[in-house]
Amino acid sequence: MEKSKLKKDIVVVYAIALIGLIATLAVYVKHLTPEWKKYQSEFKQYVREKLGEDKARMVEFGVRQIYVKELNRVDRCITCHIGYEWKGLENASNPFKTHPKEILDKHPVQKYGCTICHGGQGYALNKEEAHGFIKHWDEPLLGKELEDIYRPPDRKVLLQMNCNICHRYDTLTPGADYINYAKKLVREKGCRACHKINGRGGVIGPDLTYEGDKAPEQFDYSRIGGYKSVFAWHIAHFKNPKMVSPESIMPEMGFGSREAIALTLLTMSWRKVNLPPEYIPQSSKALADLPTPEEIEKERQMREGEGAFFVNKGCFVCHSISVFGIESAAKIGPDLSNAVEDVQSRFGKTLENFIKEPTGTMAIVLGSQIILSDSEKAQVVELLTKAYEKYRKQQLTSKP
Amino acid sequence: MAEVKVNGKKLVKRSLFWTWAPRSEKEAGDSIVRNLLLHWFPAKVTLKSLSWGYSLWLGTITATLFLILTLTGVVLMFLYVPSVERAYQSVKDIEYVVSFGWFIRAMHRNSAHLMVAFVFLHMVRVFLTGAYKNGVGAGQNRPLNWIVGVVLLLITLLLSFTGYLLPWDQLAFWAITVGTNIAKNAPIVGEWIRFVLLGGYEIEQNALIRFYVLHCFFLPAAVLVLFSYHMWRIRKDGGLACVDNLVLNQKKEKITDGIKSKTYSLLGLTTGRTVQVEATLIDEEKYTVNSIPFLIRRIGIVMLGTFVFVALISLFIHAPLEEPANPNVTPNPAKAPWYFLWLQELVAITTIRIGGFVINGAFVGGILIPGILVALLAIWPYLDKSSNLSTGVWFSKERTKQNIIFLILCFFVIVLIIIGTYMRGPNWEFYFPWEAWPQLPKKF
Repeated sequence: MEKSKLKKDIVVVYAIALIGLIATLAVYVKHLTPEWKKYQSEFKQYVREKLGEDKARMVEFGVRQIYVKELNRVDRCITCHIGYEWKGLENASNPFKTHPKEILDKHPVQKYGCTICHGGQGYALNKEEAHGFIKHWDEPLLGKELEDIYRPPDRKVLLQMNCNICHRYDTLTPGADYINYAKKLVREKGCRACHKINGRGGVIGPDLTYEGDKAPEQFDYSRIGGYKSVFAWHIAHFKNPKMVSPESIMPEMGFGSREAIALTLLTMSWRKVNLPPEYIPQSSKALADLPTPEEIEKERQMREGEGAFFVNKGCFVCHSISVFGIESAAKIGPDLSNAVEDVQSRFGKTLENFIKEPTGTMAIVLGSQIILSDSEKAQVVELLTKAYEKYRKQQLTSKP
Repeated sequence: MAEVKVNGKKLVKRSLFWTWAPRSEKEAGDSIVRNLLLHWFPAKVTLKSLSWGYSLWLGTITATLFLILTLTGVVLMFLYVPSVERAYQSVKDIEYVVSFGWFIRAMHRNSAHLMVAFVFLHMVRVFLTGAYKNGVGAGQNRPLNWIVGVVLLLITLLLSFTGYLLPWDQLAFWAITVGTNIAKNAPIVGEWIRFVLLGGYEIEQNALIRFYVLHCFFLPAAVLVLFSYHMWRIRKDGGLACVDNLVLNQKKEKITDGIKSKTYSLLGLTTGRTVQVEATLIDEEKYTVNSIPFLIRRIGIVMLGTFVFVALISLFIHAPLEEPANPNVTPNPAKAPWYFLWLQELVAITTIRIGGFVINGAFVGGILIPGILVALLAIWPYLDKSSNLSTGVWFSKERTKQNIIFLILCFFVIVLIIIGTYMRGPNWEFYFPWEAWPQLPKKF
């Protein structure tokens, strides 16, 4: 190397220093022009036009956040959604719109923050990451972006899922019509016959009390077309359980899109969230998720009646036996009152043979869920023959 | 400036920073010897050592990266909370609300990756130039400095590995899970090492605080001590290895000039020099320049260049932060940090399935092969029997065979890392870069 070359080093120093200066400037430009500043100055301008100069002067610049220690959340949404508490901006478009007042009266922002209801990433200070439709964030905003993917029949229903974090024991939650509808379906369709929910129910299906905590990896998506998500899985599964998981004995209930989305919102809301006691509604409704006295009385009658055997064995979950006064909640299987005749016409074998060698769904049920001994099998045939006699008598008396 | 008098002396700006002024040449020379920073460097330096092409300045770049890491790391220490409950949140805050937080964290992360890469490249350079070999000077012990370098490489890996856990996100948690599970398979001490490292059997608060203390104090302190020794040895070994080569070649020149080496050494002895005269250049004027400003300026260029480069890429490559750590959900695929991926890949390859019988490759792939490689690396200078003419020369003919073997091994490690990083998808299945991975399910 020539010595003269070394003298040129000084040029290199200046060149690199210049690039360094440019890099420093770039960092400062990025630091001084965050996305939220744009929204805040737009807001000031908007207020000036709508409400006048005096009001505009009240707009303060800077990052804002709500820190709710009890919920371990910090929400910086209000940095851009700056008009949430302003009067007179009810008709503005987002992010400047006033938040509906009624709901904030019951759920003060300082006590709840934003994301516990709306979802999204409270830490973030730019729209994309705050709304949470990014890699590595599990709770996106339950709003328009998500509606565009799943297209529920009604708008603005998805965030009802989060109402049910605190309101999970309510029968009726004002304003949460999808959740209310889903809870009604749970009662009417008798989901609890097979599933444990809120600690109460059967053991034929999986316990759903904390179903919402299941990770995306814990579902099998191989039979679902299109976008793979827990939400999509539940919708498809509610519509057609056997198609999604062939081994499942969960019956197809004929749910439409509205029912499937309502039930999906409900199941995904069942999460274990560490809530301080004061966040759980303390009203008479809070314990409403218990059986009604009529329901208890009916179950007692069924247990003590002629058909007690079928109640104790769990057959009544799917089958009614009307002649014994047994009414199935789900009515998934046929009424067993005329089983003697019905089995013959459906499966082409006698009831006795069918119980010994069942086919189809009953093969799964009697092979895994309800195990009967030989004497019990004989008892089934005996009882159902009795039921059939009773049924025939009823038919004869009612006919003329 | 108003004059202030203290004890009858004028207190001016100069006297605030200079408490002492040299009165003779000797005192001035002493002052340089006593100055830590100037003592690192010789007064004169050979042109070859200064050239870009010989050393590629990889060690200086590595040291600069360490400096950046220390500076940004100290800032991050004020902001980060090493607790399982708060760690993730505090990193989110650094990313979103701390002024320049995202930039400082990106610089820290990028420098960390680069430091691992440059320590490795520095090692490759030293190997290929035979710079771990002693030359002609007395008291040289370059093989020892090579071992110090290997230890520094291992500590750098550990530094990066311990830092990996701190954000307490899924990436961190599962990378450390994979890493410590590989360590577990070391014979006899494996379980114990994992237990001591994690402070238990689980990656929990105990593990986090241990990793934090190792990352912020213990390992950087070890690097500082070893790095100082590394630099000091370079001076004791007579500078970069290329100087030895220069001296040897110069001797040849002198011989062709008709001056016998015997006479030369006699001359050396008679002028009162020790045997170290052999490592001293005779024609200094022709081959050397003053360290100030030439060496200092080049170091300045490299340091500034490294700093600017890291700053520039940090504008575009941000430090990742995934979902909060969740021991119940394993991301698919779960990967170790990239510099350990060749081990994970080896483990996967050496795991043999015969029917239902599985031979776990963790010992062979994760412990045995890397263990042998590191051991070989450390003792290689003692096995290398080439002459001292191969000291400080790129691709010396004498060392062709070992250079090729070394490069092939490096190539394998790099290829395995690339495969592990870019071509291993869910369930550790192989995907070509142009093949799309199956879509991973999300919650919504």
